[in-house]
Amino acid sequence: MDINIKTTSQNTYDAIVIGSGISGGWAAMELCKKGLKVLLLERGRDVEHVKDYPTALLNPWDFEYRLQHTQKELEGNPVQTQASDAGSQLFFANDKDHPYIQEKPFNWFRGYQVGGRSLTWGRQCYRWSDLDFEANLKDGNAVDWPIRYKDLAPWYDYVESFIGVSGTKQNLSHLPDGNFLPGMELNCIETHLAQSMKKSYNDRLLMIARVANLSRGWDNRGPCQYRNLCNRGCPFGGYFSSNSSTIPAAIATGNLTLRPFSIVSELIYDDKIRKATGVRVIDTNTREHLEFHSKIIFVNASTIPTTSILMNSKSNRFPNGLGNDSGELGHNLMDHHSSAGAVGSHDGFKNSYYKGRRPCGFLIPRFKNIKPDEKNDFLRGYNIQGTGERQGFNELAGTPGFGADFKDKITTPGPWTIWMAGWGECLPYYTNQISFDEQQKDKWGLPVVKIDFSFRENEDKMMKNIQDSSLEMLQKAGFSASKFNYNKPGGSTVHEMGTARMGRDPKTSVLNGNNQIHAVKNVFVTDGSSMTSSACQNPSLTYMALTARACNYAFELLKKGEL
Amino acid sequence: MNRRTTIKSLLAFGFLGASGFSIFKWVDINKTPDTKLLLSKKDLIADLAETIIPATDTPGAKDAKVEDYIIKIMLKCTDVRNQNLFIDGLADVDHYSNKHFGKPFQSCKPADKVGVLKHFEAKSHSFNSLVAKVEGRYLGDPFFTQLKNLTVTGYCTSQTGATKGLVYDYIPGMYNGCMPLVPHQKSWATK
Repeated sequence: MDINIKTTSQNTYDAIVIGSGISGGWAAMELCKKGLKVLLLERGRDVEHVKDYPTALLNPWDFEYRLQHTQKELEGNPVQTQASDAGSQLFFANDKDHPYIQEKPFNWFRGYQVGGRSLTWGRQCYRWSDLDFEANLKDGNAVDWPIRYKDLAPWYDYVESFIGVSGTKQNLSHLPDGNFLPGMELNCIETHLAQSMKKSYNDRLLMIARVANLSRGWDNRGPCQYRNLCNRGCPFGGYFSSNSSTIPAAIATGNLTLRPFSIVSELIYDDKIRKATGVRVIDTNTREHLEFHSKIIFVNASTIPTTSILMNSKSNRFPNGLGNDSGELGHNLMDHHSSAGAVGSHDGFKNSYYKGRRPCGFLIPRFKNIKPDEKNDFLRGYNIQGTGERQGFNELAGTPGFGADFKDKITTPGPWTIWMAGWGECLPYYTNQISFDEQQKDKWGLPVVKIDFSFRENEDKMMKNIQDSSLEMLQKAGFSASKFNYNKPGGSTVHEMGTARMGRDPKTSVLNGNNQIHAVKNVFVTDGSSMTSSACQNPSLTYMALTARACNYAFELLKKGEL
Repeated sequence: MNRRTTIKSLLAFGFLGASGFSIFKWVDINKTPDTKLLLSKKDLIADLAETIIPATDTPGAKDAKVEDYIIKIMLKCTDVRNQNLFIDGLADVDHYSNKHFGKPFQSCKPADKVGVLKHFEAKSHSFNSLVAKVEGRYLGDPFFTQLKNLTVTGYCTSQTGATKGLVYDYIPGMYNGCMPLVPHQKSWATK
């Protein structure tokens, strides 16, 4: 092995942050702003805001195959190509170079570059409430969250105020309001459905999605230009990403060292002082093995890689992975399901249309299992996300006939439709887990991850309920509608969570209520791996709030000399 | 994934007898596609596409060079089964027009061209109705379904089609969720 350990002082920082995605970007910015010298490690290449968005301004006809994948790409990268088109493929890791083993089908979409998946995220921002934080305790699944809404509420405020979230206040206790920029507009058909629901139901409402897309200029970014091409990177800075926001802010402090092409293989643990002293890194350009040292370490490599790094960090004290006294490391993997829903078309509103391409849809906040006396055949809940539009050439291509009439039909706005699906909570199951393959190593010599995940009976029953309730809402609003279930495998919602959960008891959890490893106090984990349950909200806002909160806590301890 | 089960399910639908579908088709559609034949039929493809989307007060398929798009997608973005179904279908077109109208498709009068396409559309529907629902992913899409989809996509995503046949809003800069249709409103070219 080619080990090159430079002088300790040269490779020593106050803090190391592993991963530059949505939570790592936040950790780096927060720690830099507090005056710490921070090393931000990223396994992939650098992606500089605007400069490195080469596809952002291209027209459909500028792409060799008009945004389609070639057969060669589909066959070589069956997972990557499901999440991306030719415009966004550059921000998704390819399958060939980054193997993993699917013990059961699992789509693992990865963004190995500076900014990670913050470049391609769905941008939906929903707060959790105590309905979510208390759920495990109340129904006896997994372990209790060590925090409640009041612990996170000020940090939600803080994060929203920084990133810019457009949305509307609804005064729902189970989906708390936040600091919002003006919400985007519903279109004609969505407004119709909202009004119909108001008449038909007293337990639910339809609102515009809350998204980190800027309805007006914010923090020298945006506003959104309504192109709906976010996942190519936005040259207008119309949405929040590490690249457009936290990383430039961290750089501006003068305290950040950003090191791309740096895969962290493990954390270094010192038995004498019972702390982690640094990380081992493989430079993917030079293939050098390096060591970097720091007082505190934030692990934000995203759920599965974060836990993989901890599992690979073995020492006499932690033979089964760093901080794994509980045996829970690698277990309780979750992902939301979003396969089930309904579609409908409506005969009305023929003389109305819209202008602009809104980068979000609508949300029907959770309305099941809110009250204690509800009788449903499943635990927890789901929200419904959807969008209304008039059919265009894609949907109308199958219209019978050809010639001038046919041409006219496919180039004229078709019937209004609504597509909607339930984003549903997945319970934390111990046996949904990741582990290392005993033989296979990747090109860096690191163990290949095996993912063993399935949705279970509770999720199946919830999906049936989603289909029935979606169909009913559409039918009551006068749609001709039908149910669907795509039965997509785990990972497809790209909300991997768990595997290094927070908890009150070191015997049953990896992290404490401040995202510290119970037994290694100077290591913090604040990405999706820290989640104790999944709720049904899109999770990134919560990761950001947990990160900002943990950074504040870590800095206070450092100041007191306790880390 | 099991071919035997697939065939069994087709039998269950009484489909095999109805269409003259046979086990030889399995071998047939997995053969190495005759891409030379595809390239030699470029003018025919252009003519077929123009019959589906003709020039009217806005440009047609030929103006948008849809034939180049179809060949490119056929060569690089289409699986072997669909390639074979498409290429075999192209050969069938002239075969049919010669038989029924006494000349190759491109020499036919407009009305006869329409007659040829009607035949292939009807054929694709009988193929579609059961197989597409049951096991379309194993059998591929029939020739005419592919031709039509490719023509529509090729036209609507071309610069000519998107900007002249539809309305292309490169950078909208605003969103209005509900506004009156203007007379002769075309669809937006992109979502």
